[in-house]
Amino acid sequence: MNDMTGPHNQHLVTVGEPFSFLRRKWYKLWRDTPPGPVLLILGLAVASIMSIPILYVIWRSLLAGHARWLRLLDQRIPQLLWNTLSLAAAVTAATLVLGVSLAWLVIRTDVPGRALWRWLLALPLVIPPYVGAVSYIIVLGRSGWARNAWINSSWLMDRFGPYPVHIHSFWGVSFVLAMFTFPYVYLITSASLRKMNRNFEEAARSLGLNGAGVFWKITLPSLRPAIGAGAILVSLYVLSDFGAITMLRYVTFTAAIYFQRVALDTAGAAILSLVLMALTVAILWLESLTRRRSRYHQTANSYREPSVLPLGRWKPLALVYVVLVFLFSVVLPASVLVFWSHTGIRMGALDGRFWRFAFNSLKVSGIAAMLCMLLAMPVIYLKTRYPSVISTAIEKLCYAGYALPGVIVALGFIFVFNNHLSALYGTFYVVALALVVRFLPQALQAGDAALSLVSPGIDEAARGLGYPPWKVLLTVVLPNVLPGVLAGGSLVFVSSMKELPATLLLRPPGFDTLAVRVYYEASEAIYHLAAPAALLIILVSVIPLRYMLSRY
Amino acid sequence: MYDIELRSVSKTYAGTRTRAVQDLSLAVEKGDIVTLLGPSGCGKTTTLRLIAGFEWADKGIVALGGRVVGDANTWVPPEKRGAGMVFQDYALFPHLNVFNNVGFGYKGKDRLQRIMEVLELVDLRGYEKRYPHQLSGGQQQRVALARALARRPVVVLLDEPFSNLDADMRTHMRAEIKRIIKETRTTAVFVSHDQKDALAISDRIVVMRDGAIQQTGTPREIYQFSANRFVATFVGTTNILEGKMAPGGQSVVTDLGEIPCTHTHGLTTHQEVFISIRPDSLERAYDGPIKGRVKEYTYTGKAIDATIEAQLPNAKTKDLLVHLHPEEVVQVGDVLSFTVLPNFVAVLRRD
Repeated sequence: MNDMTGPHNQHLVTVGEPFSFLRRKWYKLWRDTPPGPVLLILGLAVASIMSIPILYVIWRSLLAGHARWLRLLDQRIPQLLWNTLSLAAAVTAATLVLGVSLAWLVIRTDVPGRALWRWLLALPLVIPPYVGAVSYIIVLGRSGWARNAWINSSWLMDRFGPYPVHIHSFWGVSFVLAMFTFPYVYLITSASLRKMNRNFEEAARSLGLNGAGVFWKITLPSLRPAIGAGAILVSLYVLSDFGAITMLRYVTFTAAIYFQRVALDTAGAAILSLVLMALTVAILWLESLTRRRSRYHQTANSYREPSVLPLGRWKPLALVYVVLVFLFSVVLPASVLVFWSHTGIRMGALDGRFWRFAFNSLKVSGIAAMLCMLLAMPVIYLKTRYPSVISTAIEKLCYAGYALPGVIVALGFIFVFNNHLSALYGTFYVVALALVVRFLPQALQAGDAALSLVSPGIDEAARGLGYPPWKVLLTVVLPNVLPGVLAGGSLVFVSSMKELPATLLLRPPGFDTLAVRVYYEASEAIYHLAAPAALLIILVSVIPLRYMLSRY
Repeated sequence: MYDIELRSVSKTYAGTRTRAVQDLSLAVEKGDIVTLLGPSGCGKTTTLRLIAGFEWADKGIVALGGRVVGDANTWVPPEKRGAGMVFQDYALFPHLNVFNNVGFGYKGKDRLQRIMEVLELVDLRGYEKRYPHQLSGGQQQRVALARALARRPVVVLLDEPFSNLDADMRTHMRAEIKRIIKETRTTAVFVSHDQKDALAISDRIVVMRDGAIQQTGTPREIYQFSANRFVATFVGTTNILEGKMAPGGQSVVTDLGEIPCTHTHGLTTHQEVFISIRPDSLERAYDGPIKGRVKEYTYTGKAIDATIEAQLPNAKTKDLLVHLHPEEVVQVGDVLSFTVLPNFVAVLRRD
């Protein structure tokens, strides 16, 4: 057989293998380095856990029947679309104004105490919007402090008529959501402002632009990607928010899906979910469009810190603005909660019941965080070290639950476990698993960031030194990414502590978490019981703040 | 027997049309240092990775130490090939100290002894406890080399090992690494885009372009008798002229006159050729055959690099690069004359 190659190279004889054609195709697909079967199966398993519930929702919505679709399209969907989209637009606009102006003031001007404000203005991030909503209901609501003060003041009543603030309204919801989501825009914009190279602005100056011209023609345009990213985050959040919106009795898709499900119309819930998914996907698509169009490059080598603008006579005004935002987004809700917690604790709110809720939260969030750390590793490793169509698909599927609102994930779980795994349905494991589906991407992002700092050459070096891939993962990759993976785990833990809609829909009877208690007790105006739980959630949320800030 | 043998190897990356490596054959003898030299994208790194086992060739055979490690049916994974690799960014394990980095792949009973032996070799005794981030670039590189050598590999592969070092360190490390590899009698393949690195360390140089070999030879052969225009211009600076082989095959007829040459790559009379005249082979000579006006010059300390506008018999002019002795004083516009030394003249195929 080998006479074609000639007699002089007899020593290079090789043995043919069956299926070598398929093997070669497989290698080609993985750019010559296919992952081991265990790694691949793990990755595929994670991807299916992450995506099956959502696919199930789509499937059920398509099976919901003509009549139901028509009825919902006719009666519910137009109103819900208007409610949801107008709220998203209003909140996004407000957070853009707040976030960009604050970032610019703190990073680029000499507003007093800027080093301190830089951190303080990120603090609203630790207050879940539904907790913020509770505190605003307490202050501005129908039996709130502000209203009582207003009614008791004959001067205000005579001058301006009855109490004018309706917190349970479009503007009330917009205000509350904006107050607790603007840090997204603020953080991304200020990171971008800090990275901006002074050379560009100086070049513009030397070309004859004045201060204002530089701001409009150089600074603001180069912030566009950051502003866009912030806007996307905020609008996705508004689409997915459940707690704050329902507490303020506003109805968007998430609330409608929840109530549809509570009324046991799962098919209707599935239809509404499909529309909400379409909205989410549309926003993500918009984001990918803007990202493709605007890629700005910084000349890294010549980086110089941006200059600081003196505010002059505007200084007091700027300071008042920053202080007011901080008051409304942090000080006011925090002090309300501290006040009511104090009252509650004096009345014995920290009883066995309270600690049982705390323990439930801890248990379910802890399991979710552990699972996320374990499941994230194979997915990240596949994605960064074995790039191919398959690993990209696995990664994309894993992000499905993150982009989509929690009610949809919960609905999918209800379908899957009710129909196929009914033994597990109604146990808290289902809640933990739903939390994994919702928050695994946080662990993925953190681990991904850590792994991207580890050069692939390091893996190849280890393999060149005689280590098979699984050993490389354990001895080389894991020790180097562990801090990142743990950080991701703590993010998942905190998000799970705060999570409301999926826990509400999936919890077994009697299994209440802190978040669930805050929701129920606040809606029944038992503030002295809601406040300690809310305060505990905020305290736990502070843990990963440092890490989150360092990411921006 | 060859330690490394590639036979008609081709490789196209998924998602691309052009071949990264096409029909490449290469044989490296035991103990040789070979450098794959070429511009970025010429396929040199791909060739290295094909040998290491990080890529699988579409066609052809890869053999290490006489054993086929990759062909149409066989593919031995990198951990079983016994090739030590030194990466461009060194890829030292950041969580391990020098001792454990060097000992990472070595599983013999005499681990301690072997690690100390290799550290001695790379002159890093006393650094065992340090972590990679506590080492200078040159030290990191020597750790990477020690790590690759600890397992007594059949071959060592070095991917642009000098590109992250500054100029002084680079000159020092070239000599150092050559010494270490020669001392251990290891076969080594370097990848480089820097002709100075290649000329300094190699026993043989393989010049590559667009995935194919342009010329293989000793550093002297590559520099003095470049095979084609690409090699001549990529390795060093040169003057390219059109010409025709003169009868007798010992000189080439060009616009500048008949230029003698000793190495003709077997080209025969009347064939159309290029001729490459290195700046070093144009020597100042009073009343030499080539006359030209100084157009511009750069004083570099070691020499004066000047461009001469040479007068051709047909009233045209031709710019020539020349090197002048640094002590000479020249002005733009001076007319100088030169003669051609045949040793640095190469006849190039026109293709």
